[in-house]
Amino acid sequence: MEKLINELQAKIVDVLNLPDVEPQDIKPEEQLVGGRLGIDSIDVLEMVIMIEKDYGVKIDSRELGVKVFASLKTLAEHIHSNVSGQTN
Amino acid sequence: MLRIHIIGMGIVTALGSGLRSNRDALLENRSGIRPLTLFPTVSHHPLPVGEINLPGGADNFPRTHRLALLAAEQAMANVKAAPDAVIMGVTTGGLSSTEALLRKQISDPGMYRCHATGSVAEEIARVYDCHGPVLTVSTACSSGAAALKLAQEMLRSGKAQRVLAGGADALCRLTYHGFNALQLIDPDGARPLDADRRGMSVGEGAALLLLAANEPDRALAEILGAGLSCDAYHPAAPHPEGEGARAAMQAALNDAGLTPADIDYINLHGTGTRDNDMAEARALTTLFGNEMPLLSSIKGASGHSLAAAGAIEAVMSAISISEGVIPANTGCRTADPALNLKPILAPVRKPVDVVLSNSFGFGGNNASLILGSPGRRQVRKTKAGTRTLCVMGHACVTGAGRTRATMAAIASGKACAGVLASGEIAARLSPAQVRRLKRFPRLALALAMDAYESAGDGKPPEAVFMGTGWGALSETSDFLERLFETGEQFPSPTDFVGSVHNAAAGQIAMQFKARGANLTMTGGDYSFEQAVAAAELMAGECRDGIVVVGADEHHERLSPLFDGSVARTRACPADGGGALYLDNSERASAPRIQSLFFESCRKDTDVRSVIRSAIDTLPPFEGRYGIILAGLPASCRKKAEHQLQILLEVSGFNGAVVDYRKYTGEFASASAVAVVMAVDLLMKGCIPASFGNGIVEVLGSKGALVVGMGDHMTAIEVMNP
Repeated sequence: MEKLINELQAKIVDVLNLPDVEPQDIKPEEQLVGGRLGIDSIDVLEMVIMIEKDYGVKIDSRELGVKVFASLKTLAEHIHSNVSGQTN
Repeated sequence: MLRIHIIGMGIVTALGSGLRSNRDALLENRSGIRPLTLFPTVSHHPLPVGEINLPGGADNFPRTHRLALLAAEQAMANVKAAPDAVIMGVTTGGLSSTEALLRKQISDPGMYRCHATGSVAEEIARVYDCHGPVLTVSTACSSGAAALKLAQEMLRSGKAQRVLAGGADALCRLTYHGFNALQLIDPDGARPLDADRRGMSVGEGAALLLLAANEPDRALAEILGAGLSCDAYHPAAPHPEGEGARAAMQAALNDAGLTPADIDYINLHGTGTRDNDMAEARALTTLFGNEMPLLSSIKGASGHSLAAAGAIEAVMSAISISEGVIPANTGCRTADPALNLKPILAPVRKPVDVVLSNSFGFGGNNASLILGSPGRRQVRKTKAGTRTLCVMGHACVTGAGRTRATMAAIASGKACAGVLASGEIAARLSPAQVRRLKRFPRLALALAMDAYESAGDGKPPEAVFMGTGWGALSETSDFLERLFETGEQFPSPTDFVGSVHNAAAGQIAMQFKARGANLTMTGGDYSFEQAVAAAELMAGECRDGIVVVGADEHHERLSPLFDGSVARTRACPADGGGALYLDNSERASAPRIQSLFFESCRKDTDVRSVIRSAIDTLPPFEGRYGIILAGLPASCRKKAEHQLQILLEVSGFNGAVVDYRKYTGEFASASAVAVVMAVDLLMKGCIPASFGNGIVEVLGSKGALVVGMGDHMTAIEVMNP
C-alpha cells in the first residue's frame, strides 16, 4: 500500500502540474480536493482518467468520486481493492 | 423608440428542419435524442445525442456550415436585399471535418479552409452578399444568444438596418468525448430538472434570425432586450448560487424595461447536468421568488447544440409567442424537489406575450434574451448612444518581448517577429494560476494584466472583449492527439475545458472579478477589430473599465494548416498580441480609439467604390492622421496591397505608411500589436525615423490610423483628445 501511495503522489503532482508541491507533500490522510493543494473538480476528472488508464479502475459517478477522492489514502484503498488481477 | 423586429427565421435541429416541423415536435412532446451514428466510436454503446439526418457533403465542407446555410435559406426565403451585417455564434466551426483530416494526417492547408469558427459567418455573408461587418461570437454555449445581443446593439446604434444573426454548431469528436470526459453526459439521454438527471445530451443545429430596425409590418416577434454577464468563478462549473445567471436575467429585464412579473414563460438553459440546473434554479428563485412564470427546457428534446442553442431557443421562443404554445420539459418525469421548480411536463396551448430565454456557457459566460409579441407596449428607456472609449493602458507581446522591448525594437527599425519563450510570457503570473494554462491563455492573461497595470490607477475592468483568430490551438491539438492515441479511451478533461475559444477570456474575468459582458470574437485576421467593434457596441452598458485583448499562439503543427499567412512564412514563426485597458469616462489626457469601418469586398473591381463609400462620411485623412499602420496578410498580399494603394489614392493621404506585419510577423491578431503601436506613438508624440522618411516626425495633434486589408477592409483610429 505504501508503494501505491508513493506512486500516486508522484503521478498526481505530474498529471496536475502542481507548482511548488513535492510528491511527499500530499499527505495520505489530508483532504485531497478543495483544500490546501488547490485541487478542484477538473483535477478530479483528470485523476479519474489517469487511474482508469494506469490501473484499469473506473470511477464513473460523482457519488463514488466524492468517497474515493476524500484523501490519498481512500484513493489508494479504492484502487487496491478494485484493481484487476489483485489477489489479496 | 427603435424596435427590433424579427422578420425572418430559420431553424434546423434534431427535431426537424423548418419552423413547422420544430413546432410540431414541440406540440407532440417528441424527442430527437438517439444514439450517435455520425462517426464511429470505439465503444459499442454510443451515447445518446441530438443528431441531425444530413446526408452527403464533401470532406472539407463542414457540417456546421451546411446546417447554418440551411437555416439561413429559411430565414432569407422571402427577402431579396442583402443584410447589412452577419453575426454568428459558433464554437466548433469546421472541427468535425478538421478532426477527420487530422486523423488522416492530411497536410494540405487548402483542405482546412473552413476550419475557422469565423468561416461559418463568412460563408453566409458570401452567399447573401453582405458587404458590412461579419462577426463571430465564440462564448461556448451562450454564443448564439450573445450574437443576438450584439445584433440588437448594432441595430440600436444605427450602424445597420438589417442584421442576419444566430448560431450554428455540429456534433464532433471533441465535444462528444470532451463532455463525456467531464462526466456530464446522461447515458439515458438528457432529462433536465428531473430528480434522477445525470447530465446533458450533446446536440447540433443552427438557427438564424433576420433582425430589422422598425419593420413592424413583417414582424414575427420582437427582441425586447438582452443581457450579458460573466460568473468570473470557474472555467467550467457555474457559480453555485447562479449569481451570474441572475445578473444576466436582470440585465435583460433592465434592457427591456420590464419587471419579472411581465414574463409569461421562461425557456430555460436547463442542460440536465446536476450543477447547471441547480444554479439556474437558485438564480430563478432569487429573481422571481414565489411569482414563478411557467418554465421548461427543450434540451431533453433537441439536445444541447452548444453555440446554436441560444439562437435555436430564441426561434422556439418566437414560435411560442406566434403559435401560443408552451413546450414541455421533455425527458423530465419527476421534477427534482431540491430545485423547487415546476417544469411544464406536457405541452400547453396558451397565449404567450413575453418570453425569457436563458443561455449559459463555459467560462461563466451568460446571456439572457427577452422576446415579445410584435407591437406590445414597450417602455424601455432609450440609452445614451455609443460613448467615447479612452485608452488608459496598453500592452503587447511579440517575439522581441513585452511592451517596452517590442516598442524599442520597432522604434529602431528592427523586426520583433518571433515566438517568445513561454516562461517569459508567464513571468508575472503565479505558478498556481497558470498550471493548467497553455500558451494562448497565458498570452491573453499576461496581456490583460499588463494593460491594466500600465493604466496606473484604474478600477479593475468590468468587461472583457477578446479577439483571436485561432484560439487555444495547443489544448485542441493535445486533446485530439490523446483522444486518437488512446483509442478514444482517455481524453483529457483539462484540455477540453481549455480548448474553447473563450477559456482565456474566462481566465481574465476570474483574475479581475470582471462580472460584466465577456465576449470572445473570432474572425481570422480581423478578430481584434471584431473585439473592438463588440466593445463599442457594449460600452453603453459598462460602468467601469473594459479590457480588449487580441492574441494568438503559434502552434507548430496547426498554425500552418489553418492560417494561410503562416503557411507562406513557415521559416519565421511569430505570435503574440496586444491589449488595451479602456474606459468611457473621457479623461482629458487619454488617447481615444474608434473603429471607422468594417467592409467586405469580394471583387477586386468593387474596391474603389467600397472604399469611396466607406470614407465618404469621414473627415479627410490628410491633416488628421500622421501615420497609417497597414495590415497586409501574406495569404492575400497582392489583393491587400492593391486595396491599400486605392485607399491612399482615394483618401489623398501622403504621410508615413507602415506595413506592420514586416515588424510583427504573420499571425492573426497582429493588428492588436499595431493598435498598441499607434497608442505608443501618440503618447510619445512622434514617428520614429525608421518609419519612412528617415527623420523623426512630430505627430502634433495628428492621430494614427490602423487599417486591415484583404478579405475585409477595416479601419480603427487612435486620436489624441
